[in-house]
Amino acid sequence: MSVNHVLTTCPYCGTGCQFFLQVVDDRLVGVVPCKTDEISQGRLCIKGYHAHAFVHHPDRLKTPLVRKDGQLVRASWHEALGRIVSEVKEIVAHHGPDSVLVLASAKCTNEENYLIQKLARAAIGTNNVDHCARLCHASTVSGLILSFGSGAMTNTTPEFDNADCILVTGSNTMEAHPIIASHMFKAHAKGAKVIVVDPRETPLSRMAYRSLHQKPGTDIAWINGMMKVIIDEDLYDRDFVKNRTTGFEALKKVVDGYTPDRVEQITGIAGKDLIDIARTYAKSEKAMIAYAMGVTQHSNGTNIVRALANLTMLTGHLGKESVGLNALRGQCNVQGSCDSGGLPDFFPGYQKVDDPETVKKFEKAWGVKLPHEKGLTLTWAVQQAAEGKIKAIVAFGENVMLSDPDITHLEKALKKLEFLAIVDIFPSETALLADVVLPAACYAEKDGTFTSTDRALRPVRKAVDPPGEAMPDWKIACELGRRFGVPGFEFKSPSEIMDEMAGLAPIYGGIDYERIDRQVIRWPCPSKDSPGAKFLHAGSFKMGRGVFAPVEHTDPQEVPSPEFPMILTTGRNLFQYHTGTMTRRSSKLEREAPEPYVELNSKDAKAFGVVDGERVRVSSRRGSVSLAARVTDNIIPGTMFIPFHYAEAPANRLTNPALDPIAHIPELKVCAARIEKG
Amino acid sequence: MNELGKKLARIAFDERGADYLLAMREEHGNVAPSMIRKGEDAGDVRVDLPYQLVNILSNIYPWVPKGRIAVVCRRCDEKALNEIIKRNLMDRDRLILIGLACTREQVALCRCSDPVPSKVDIGEANAPVREDPLMVKLDSMSQQDRLKFWTSEFRKCNKCFGCTLNCPVCFCDDCVLEEHTFTPELGIPPSFAFHLVRSMHMSDKCIECGECERSCAGGIPLLTLRKMANRDMKRMFGYEAGDKEKVSPLLTTLEGKLLEDGEHVC
Ligand code: SF4
Ligand code: SF4
Ligand code: SF4
Repeated sequence: MSVNHVLTTCPYCGTGCQFFLQVVDDRLVGVVPCKTDEISQGRLCIKGYHAHAFVHHPDRLKTPLVRKDGQLVRASWHEALGRIVSEVKEIVAHHGPDSVLVLASAKCTNEENYLIQKLARAAIGTNNVDHCARLCHASTVSGLILSFGSGAMTNTTPEFDNADCILVTGSNTMEAHPIIASHMFKAHAKGAKVIVVDPRETPLSRMAYRSLHQKPGTDIAWINGMMKVIIDEDLYDRDFVKNRTTGFEALKKVVDGYTPDRVEQITGIAGKDLIDIARTYAKSEKAMIAYAMGVTQHSNGTNIVRALANLTMLTGHLGKESVGLNALRGQCNVQGSCDSGGLPDFFPGYQKVDDPETVKKFEKAWGVKLPHEKGLTLTWAVQQAAEGKIKAIVAFGENVMLSDPDITHLEKALKKLEFLAIVDIFPSETALLADVVLPAACYAEKDGTFTSTDRALRPVRKAVDPPGEAMPDWKIACELGRRFGVPGFEFKSPSEIMDEMAGLAPIYGGIDYERIDRQVIRWPCPSKDSPGAKFLHAGSFKMGRGVFAPVEHTDPQEVPSPEFPMILTTGRNLFQYHTGTMTRRSSKLEREAPEPYVELNSKDAKAFGVVDGERVRVSSRRGSVSLAARVTDNIIPGTMFIPFHYAEAPANRLTNPALDPIAHIPELKVCAARIEKG
Repeated sequence: MNELGKKLARIAFDERGADYLLAMREEHGNVAPSMIRKGEDAGDVRVDLPYQLVNILSNIYPWVPKGRIAVVCRRCDEKALNEIIKRNLMDRDRLILIGLACTREQVALCRCSDPVPSKVDIGEANAPVREDPLMVKLDSMSQQDRLKFWTSEFRKCNKCFGCTLNCPVCFCDDCVLEEHTFTPELGIPPSFAFHLVRSMHMSDKCIECGECERSCAGGIPLLTLRKMANRDMKRMFGYEAGDKEKVSPLLTTLEGKLLEDGEHVC
């Protein structure tokens, strides 16, 4: 009889809470919070408390599967891996390496993502490697790199405790990042003013000092409006603007057009409220902004992020403790999967793939020739697949069939592929379309690291063995790399992989397993004697000066019409996680939120003759779904909300795949739709 | 192995014949619960964190069918075990209590009126604290203001269920809080019913360990709420939870006779 408590990191949101998995003889029996962890401080949300529940689920994939005569049948590792390598090689020989797309995963560890991008670049020879960050915070990464030179959360989660003003927009923090909300409450208890700007009434907005509702897709207007008030009333930080930024005059000119009246017309936010939050934010000494997908998932997401960056630079609310701009990232390792190079334009550590010096450095390290062109983004590649230009996809842990926009179109695109290989822990909707399916180990069954939304390296430790023949993704990537016949895939442990990555990505330069085993280190950590960084941009920006980018409000790609009179917005609820492959297999979580639903305002419900609980059909230009109506006053009239977790009524059958021109993030937050009975 | 580890191992294994020792020790720069086996290095044991070891034990107890388990117990842990054993959920003969007297700081943090275990093996006995400052403040407020206070506190609840999951005396198989009538699915924050049902339900079991308050994601002063409900229980029934023998008045018939064995566990 052995009983162990294994300290590891939560596999759900990007907060990065640590907890102990209780293990009795290779079986998980419970979760115990870790009181000494600086981020979670002995608290967890309901998902964390049940993070052991799906691990031993009977649906877990236990053996490789290969499609034969149209059926997925059990196969040996040897056969399945061989099939992937031979099919991909064949396609590369006929159509070139850029006809292949490799998908990394925000659910995999840093070490695994490092190997997955290496597999794409070094073994297959393409920069076509991307992952679901494209769908959540691609606009954060691209927007903040342009404005500040670095695309990450500027502060650490515990710094929220001491803020005196917290502006939260496009983030349902209490549901999506419960433990970050828990830190915000500490500030609130000390008298901090919490301002929430969101089209929906969120649980956090009920305790806010000001809770304002903008029409979806009008964020730039109110952010510019705040800046106009701040400039007109001379509340901006002249020193910061003068010494640390460029482009102020151009910004001033653009925001000048956003008078409180005009902002009210566009956004629905009353002029006096706008003036009030502008003053409050500007005058607070420790002002933090927190935002999430309500900001990023728009066809102008990069511009909204840049508008927020403008606001922080204008007020000098950057580069100090408990002061900054904070993107709350959704998945356990979405920060790390970006850091590790799971992106078509960046090597690990955000080093450009089209910079000849950088390419040379990686060619030397990896001992192979590398492509010089940026690869395709996930969303763009899917469109290329529909046109037959992408022939093969090898995807690690991505359930694109529920998470991506316009899935009817997507399914067609996937069916057009010559070859699809999926590595996952459950037979997801996407895996069912694959030619080869490989069974992966989940977070509790392997070692590695996640990087939390606040840049902290969080160890993931093996608690139990994987089921059946399942293997960790890093081993699978090594096996594939070896079979492609390239050097550099002979790793014996994740710690060796981290050592290689640290040697190539300066922001991780000082990271090694021995250090992070006992200390919380946040990147940038360039050397072994560096303690890492708490808040970013103190003193100067990575690229010298911060860049003001004047941006104008534009209408969303789809606006309501007589045929589709409502705006549909999508998101998540507290109890389910993403496409639900894990949470829907955890009974306590499923009990809380078992059924898909659409939220609409009681006025609209009346107008359409819909009552609470009734079955309705919601349609957009791309398709329709049938689900239950939830009539509520928590959402503004004219807007509906559907969470995207449910396969039986997938919100993404309706969403608009229109892309942000820079980040290629799709407009998941706004499309035109209608609602009918039945 | 630190001095504390040596001492605990000696008491548990050499003096009292335990097969396992459940304690907290340093691991990975943090403090981890550990089930140390006889003969194993006890490691760097820590007793300065208010971990509810009894709750951790409850999770693993059903999986460890044999052997005697020594547990580091503060006074509240000891009382929690009394409640557990009275309900036949654990076998007293399989448990060995190692008494830990809480530090003055801990007593102050818990506003604890009963901090000394029946036998002190580690630490020194400290004086109890008689008053909970927040309770005093609430007592002096009007009913309306009190309602306002709790309403704004309960707004921070995100239904993590940490208050039940980490409570050493929450042991129902089917939790009343998961009953849809009291706690409709989906919505957060849950209604008053969530907190009041829990409050009433705990009033003959709660031993005021404070773990619910410490683990509350909303930072709600749950221990004060508990102390207030327990005070009512004491006033109305003259009963306080945690006694070795005395059975809850809620577990007796109208005539005051004990309910049949197993008829009522919660
Ligand atoms: S807040 Fe996020 S990381 Fe923490 S327990 Fe909940 S899901 Fe896990
Ligand atoms: S104080 Fe809270 S956790 Fe402790 S016994 Fe009472 S209700 Fe349970
Ligand atoms: S611990 Fe706090 S936040 Fe969690 S369910 Fe209990 S009262 Fe609510």
